[in-house]
Amino acid sequence: MKRPTFYLMLVAMIPITMILCAATLLLAAGKVGESAPTFTATASDGKTYKLADYRGKYVVLEWHNNGCPYVGKQYNSGNMQKLQKQWTSKGIVWFTILSSAPGKQGFVTASDENAYIAKMQAAPTAALLDPSGEIGHLYDAKTSPQMVVINPQGVVIYDGAIDDKPTTDLADVPGATNYVSLALEQSMAGKPVATPATRPYGCSVKYPDSSH
Amino acid sequence: MSGRKSRAAFRRAVILSAAVLAICSNRTQATGVPIPHGTLELIAEKDWITAGHPFNVALRFELEKGWHVYWVNPGDSGEPPRVTWDLPAGIKAGAIEWPAPRRLGTPTIVDYGYQDGVTLVVPMRADATLSSQNPAQISANIKVLVCREICVPGKAQVSLALPVKPQPPPANSQSTHFFTEARKAWPRPALASWKFFIVQTNDSFVLTANLGRKITDAIFFPLAESQVSNAAPQTLVPTATGFTLTLRKSEQLLKPIARLKGVLVLSGEQPYSIDVPIGKSTEASAKGSG
Repeated sequence: MKRPTFYLMLVAMIPITMILCAATLLLAAGKVGESAPTFTATASDGKTYKLADYRGKYVVLEWHNNGCPYVGKQYNSGNMQKLQKQWTSKGIVWFTILSSAPGKQGFVTASDENAYIAKMQAAPTAALLDPSGEIGHLYDAKTSPQMVVINPQGVVIYDGAIDDKPTTDLADVPGATNYVSLALEQSMAGKPVATPATRPYGCSVKYPDSSH
Repeated sequence: MSGRKSRAAFRRAVILSAAVLAICSNRTQATGVPIPHGTLELIAEKDWITAGHPFNVALRFELEKGWHVYWVNPGDSGEPPRVTWDLPAGIKAGAIEWPAPRRLGTPTIVDYGYQDGVTLVVPMRADATLSSQNPAQISANIKVLVCREICVPGKAQVSLALPVKPQPPPANSQSTHFFTEARKAWPRPALASWKFFIVQTNDSFVLTANLGRKITDAIFFPLAESQVSNAAPQTLVPTATGFTLTLRKSEQLLKPIARLKGVLVLSGEQPYSIDVPIGKSTEASAKGSG
């Protein structure tokens, strides 16, 4: 695409995005026990991902902001990467979602994100770029690292914190109960998820100021 | 230089040094340790403590403009300051007296905290056996998250050496006004004549308050996390004798709760603590009153 056309499209998209954002806010957000709202997004790898294409698989959504100390705790300890590798190796789809608005903490371009993934040795299926906050609002994501687990039937089975230690301390990672792993293990064993919703601790998602 | 002149110069130097020392020692008393975007200081309400008597200390957070720390229930994001006390034998710390917070954040993500600073008072108890030979060394290790647009975690250690004397301390000290100010924002018990009840619908708690007068402005701050939706607007309907306030249930509230505890802030008044039993689900009547 030629650059001027691209910018024109970008400008044209702003009001559309704003309307979409307002509209999505009026809809019920993704709730535990209900169908996961569908979305289509461009990832840092340049590909387009549609949630609907992954019906039949477990999908994990991870809200990310590389400047947030709660996210730093998970990545600097290697815990998030370990989870990504552990679960994607079992055929689970893992989407890191970047809902920070341009100019705000955690906003990244595709190449920034690819460099981060390489440096941190992160292993999500894809990192979805959501600078308008549309996917974030669709799921009513409040924090990074908020985590959502969707079962193969497309139903949200977990929404909340990554674990039970709402701190920024790396030392709290080893002893923590990981709610994402617990939800996946229980669901895969055919059991109900014992803790399907928790307070998603962390940093507030840095949505655009206009997306109220 | 003549002997007289040098003696005079020496005297001046001594006086000047003493003055500087006096200023410095005052300053060390009033200066906090750095935390992200602010300072933290441990202060005592009175000049000394007495064995067998309670006393108060406080953690005084002073923050750069626009930065905040969190209430005991931080709301949608963040976390409250956490304190670990290091106390001599014979001194025990009570729980933090949390002043009523403010709603912070955006319309979709709402936090509860204190902007620009806060004084968190902690009641302490000195055993009757506490020796008055040495000052009591009171130390606290603090973990705190300081946020504005972004959040910065910090750690700090603050300490205070408090003399122990047999006679009671004077009523006032240099720090008294911080405690007086802090108390103004403490929730006090709701009046005995006030009546509260809560009925619930599928998605909301409807708090009805009978205070004997019409109330047009009230905010409820839930003490526990994950009971009330923080960002949902609290819908107030004034009545002749009070108000009803509709509080949307939190998405994370998965099991029924018997009571709702929190702080009620009526415009322009000191905040009140309330602890209200939740009535059985009466969808129809709740809809009627709300």
